[in-house]
Amino acid sequence: MATLPRPATLLPARPAPLFGLRSRHTVATLITYILLAAFSMLVLVPFFFMLSTSLKSEGQLFVWPIVWVPNPIMWENYVRAFTELGKVAPGLSFWRTLGNTLFITVLAMTAELIAVTLVAYGFARFRFPGRDLLFMLMLSTMMLPGIITLIPVFIIWRTLGLIDTYDPLVVGIWFGGGAWAVFMLRQFLLGVPREIEEAAIIDGANTFQIYYQIMLPLVKPALLALGVLIFQGNWNNFMGPLIYLNTPAKFPMVVALKFFQESLSKEAPKWHYMMAMSTVMAAPILALFFAAQRYFIEGLTVGAVKG
Amino acid sequence: MTISAWETYYPTLLRWLATGGGLILLMVALYRILRWFKVKPEAANGYALVLPWILGLLIWNLYPFGRSLYLSFTEYNIFQPPKWVGLSNYVRMFTRDPYFWPSFRLTLSYAALNVPLGLLGSIGVALLLNRPIKGIGIWRTIYYLPAVLPAAAVALLWRWMLSPTSGLINFLLQPVYRLLNVEPLAWYTDSRLVLPAFVIMGMWGVFGANTVILLAGLKNIPKELYEVAEIDGASNWHKFTRVTLPMLSSTMFYNVITGIIGSLQIFTQAFFIPIPRASGTFLNVKIYQEAFSYGRFGYASALAWFLLLVILLLTLLVFRSSSLWVYYEAEKR
Repeated sequence: MATLPRPATLLPARPAPLFGLRSRHTVATLITYILLAAFSMLVLVPFFFMLSTSLKSEGQLFVWPIVWVPNPIMWENYVRAFTELGKVAPGLSFWRTLGNTLFITVLAMTAELIAVTLVAYGFARFRFPGRDLLFMLMLSTMMLPGIITLIPVFIIWRTLGLIDTYDPLVVGIWFGGGAWAVFMLRQFLLGVPREIEEAAIIDGANTFQIYYQIMLPLVKPALLALGVLIFQGNWNNFMGPLIYLNTPAKFPMVVALKFFQESLSKEAPKWHYMMAMSTVMAAPILALFFAAQRYFIEGLTVGAVKG
Repeated sequence: MTISAWETYYPTLLRWLATGGGLILLMVALYRILRWFKVKPEAANGYALVLPWILGLLIWNLYPFGRSLYLSFTEYNIFQPPKWVGLSNYVRMFTRDPYFWPSFRLTLSYAALNVPLGLLGSIGVALLLNRPIKGIGIWRTIYYLPAVLPAAAVALLWRWMLSPTSGLINFLLQPVYRLLNVEPLAWYTDSRLVLPAFVIMGMWGVFGANTVILLAGLKNIPKELYEVAEIDGASNWHKFTRVTLPMLSSTMFYNVITGIIGSLQIFTQAFFIPIPRASGTFLNVKIYQEAFSYGRFGYASALAWFLLLVILLLTLLVFRSSSLWVYYEAEKR
């Protein structure tokens, strides 16, 4: 830049202003990074504290100043937490509670994805009398707090004699699934050009074939986004299993954690064990999040930004 | 005596498969019947496809909705049939239950603090992330992490961090306490500090999700608007107040609505953190306890209806106010 020879008659080169545009820009960027780093500490330090606590011996828990890197590192906490739990909850091992959680999550997710795609397809692509009214009704159910229907729905399952089974958590989902999920998927389906279907109809495909072979592959990213959010919702769901399951051996992880807190950790909190269990519970979700981050964010923003 | 896992799974699995299969058959049958009655194929297809949801609407929404309204006027312990008691549940709620008003106040204050503070914080971070910076994906991942964590884990973690005698927060605040010569704050065990403690935890939890949503909203603002503003000689402040805020307002509106609905219904976090009786409990927890701990299903239904009305009222207010602060592009055309 400065190597170009200057005619002597011109004014001497202006020195760069001390707080000129460029440096002001640099300072602003620097401040941005500092603030972002500071905020991210607020997020990351609790995570680190959770992990660090889960690896401490009981003696190190209440030591001030706080021990950040436990010494020795108690990997066995992860095993012991579940052995302790097994003593008060007969039959509830780590594998059992993992199996329970997966059983609930996978069945609920499958049912919801199937039901939701069918319903969204119906709302997006077919004209029938009363459709818009039904759709408005569906949107308004999103505002209903879940607690209002909780008691009558509980009574329905009780009348069917299915309390303390997994049925209330996975079977009922066949009927409709979440209104929010239908809404989101319908938005995606509306974006699919009609010509694609029309070509298939001319080729003699029936509705189910069009749905399965054309529409579903086209909205695959939306389905994945929905899938991860539904998986997360069911994995983390606490109220449902809390209300419907009574036998400890049937508990998914969240309820097992609560059971541990109530039975073993009431008087002297065993934070190292509880943090170990929390970490175990969070790990699959975090792994899923890192693997499918794009879909999480897509699912989260679709209703908000366009709506 | 323990039962094997499989024994608890397979009956549900069978009923799950049967229900799913039955539903598909029902859909096909509905289509055939409608076609029999000479309904147009398009409409017949449509009705058949939305059938699962219509059934769900009736079984899981409309019937329970009406039923819980009825139950709110009864005394009901689910072992004996409900006994009509008129308005007595509501009278009891407003005049005789000593824990109702504290609980309502706690729930409402939580929402009133959590929603605006959360929104302000996440707008700030979203604006930072919207600047030309490197590694946007990594930052976004970090900020979103708390929203992925199960609510139960969030609750336990914060209860541990805010533990009065050995928690991380009080450890970090130690110099401040010494400087001011005060006792360490007791957070969840001090009825005056329950609210701030919950707000801190709530903000940590929702912060990331809101930020990601708002960031997507910011990225959605057409660049041309800023260019035009620059040509007109707008300052940064003007660009923020005249372009960014109006263009972001519909996303903010969405956040406020979902924030209010979500905050008023806080359950899992509240259930994992015992708080002093004097501060009441969050309404959702109170409803759960009245029903499932004390067997007062009628009274719990009345409380649930009260919560529904509060949510509806607040949502309506925000919707009404939206014409004042939410800018919709379509209106200008």
